[in-house]
Amino acid sequence: MQSLKEKRRTGKIGSFKVGLIIVSFIVTAVLVLAIGALFMVPDIKDVWESLKSDEMIFSLKLSLWTGLLSTALVMVFSLPIGYTLSRFQFVGKGFVKTIIDLPVAFPELVLGLCLLLLFGNTFVGKIFSSLGFQFVFTTQGIVAAQFFTALPYACRIMKSTFDYIDPRMEFVSRSLGYSMFETFMNVSLPLAKNGILASTVIAFARCIGTFGTVLILAGGTYMKTEVLPITLYLNISYGNMGMALTSGIVLMVVSFAAIYIFERTEVSL
Amino acid sequence: MSFLSVSDLHINLGEFYLNGVSFDLDKGDYLTIIGPTGAGKTILLESLVGFWMPDQGNIYLENRDITTELPEKRNIGIVYQDYALLSHFTVYKNIEYGLKKKNPKGMKEKIHDIASALYIDHLLHRKPATLSGGEQQRVALARALVVEPKMLLMDEPFSALDPQTRRDTRTLLKKAIAERNTTVMHVTHDLGDAWTLANKVAVIRDGLLLQIGSLEEVFKRPQTPFVAGFVGATLMEGTVIDHDNGLSVVNVNGFTVRTLDPADIGAKVKLAVRPEDIIVGIQPSPNTSAQNNIQATLSGIMYEGKTSLLSLNAGETFFDVLVTNHSLERLGLTPGDTVYAMIKSSNVRIVNSNVN
Repeated sequence: MQSLKEKRRTGKIGSFKVGLIIVSFIVTAVLVLAIGALFMVPDIKDVWESLKSDEMIFSLKLSLWTGLLSTALVMVFSLPIGYTLSRFQFVGKGFVKTIIDLPVAFPELVLGLCLLLLFGNTFVGKIFSSLGFQFVFTTQGIVAAQFFTALPYACRIMKSTFDYIDPRMEFVSRSLGYSMFETFMNVSLPLAKNGILASTVIAFARCIGTFGTVLILAGGTYMKTEVLPITLYLNISYGNMGMALTSGIVLMVVSFAAIYIFERTEVSL
Repeated sequence: MSFLSVSDLHINLGEFYLNGVSFDLDKGDYLTIIGPTGAGKTILLESLVGFWMPDQGNIYLENRDITTELPEKRNIGIVYQDYALLSHFTVYKNIEYGLKKKNPKGMKEKIHDIASALYIDHLLHRKPATLSGGEQQRVALARALVVEPKMLLMDEPFSALDPQTRRDTRTLLKKAIAERNTTVMHVTHDLGDAWTLANKVAVIRDGLLLQIGSLEEVFKRPQTPFVAGFVGATLMEGTVIDHDNGLSVVNVNGFTVRTLDPADIGAKVKLAVRPEDIIVGIQPSPNTSAQNNIQATLSGIMYEGKTSLLSLNAGETFFDVLVTNHSLERLGLTPGDTVYAMIKSSNVRIVNSNVN
């Protein structure tokens, strides 16, 4: 009998299949080279000096705390929204889903512009400012910009996470005497653990990397509303490559870490 | 009033629906619900537990209207085919889960009692994913039974189990519910579940409750051709032409059948016969009044493991006969042969004397 290995060797290899694989590799190769360039071009001393500069330290700190705060806010909202979209049927569900998803396809700059107009001199903007929230050209604005940019990704991941949890587990919990809220806390949340981790890291990476929305709403002011992407942008325009490359590297490391953790959780987007 | 009373229940979930379902159950009843896929069996269970709000109709449990009560207040347990165990808990925690909420006193003994009754006491520290299907289903049963629910609802609980495990689990379940006098509703595709566990059977199709009654009533006196076909019985229509020694003689399309059930001469009746109540021979048996001998043609043989199902037709009437493969071999039958179907008159049942 012919062994499986021999069969495979003698079997015809479809040119269609080979072609597709080659296309995938070509694009991957270009990306790998591009990412590699970010690490190969700068000289290490330059990067080290840039990291120690006041501007970089300010930018790193600001990015970290706004990113963490925005991520926390995103999770506080994406958990209930994801659960609602996964479990409940209600009037206007399609509308809610479309609008929340919209920023995925929306240019960041346009989103920033919309937020700027809303939080400017409108009724809504006045309500927020009377509550002590000033979003226009402030660090609070950075958080707002990051929040709206990252929210749709987190909501999507949370919805698909809850879709994968059998509602019958929740039914059983309720039949055993637990209310809907207790069931959510005891059953749905613990089972959604991986999805929560995945959507947290993706939300954090999106928050840290948000540029256009932040630029328009919070302004890209040197040492005031300067987060890492803004640092990259400002220094490119001054021709200060060391600073630009360093912020690029930091952002790249954050993204890699996020994608690595996301892949480990085996959650689908 | 009965223990459970469901009246005129309407519910519409699009793909699945119930259309005016009404029935009553007594305390300690074991009802199996059978019917084709998509008939509405699962939503019937889930609306009793309280997961779906009916569009119309009422549910009374112990004389209390529970139609709009929250599931967590009803104290009705449910067990699913895929077990729905909480995968982040150990077996012990799964069983403890409901008790902790409802009745935390003496939890440990109760859990150990039910675990040993269902032979899962050696698995308490394990996570559900490491257990076999039969073990997981016993854990799901333990979790539902340990809180002593007023009713236990089961949705095809054994259909994912192999035949041997299914028989063993049935035995354990039967004992556990008998000890607790639990009222049970059990959706199944396996008529064996009904025979071994139930005292009542309901047949549902397209959201309608076609027939509900004792095992004897539904299996031996199916009211409609659909129910007859579903429970494997043959339904014949005929007219009562005579009375003979306390038996009613019915003319069915040219041949006569005698039944013990009384009926007026001239009445149109439906007769039901079960395949296991018919004996096949190549000669008619000595004529006694208790015996029907119907000449028929063997039109087909279907092997089903240890037994075979023969299809006979007498005139325009078709009926199935269950025989052992041993006797089939002894008779040496092949399709096309002329045979005699012998049926005791007590096994021919009039299901409905006013046929329209």
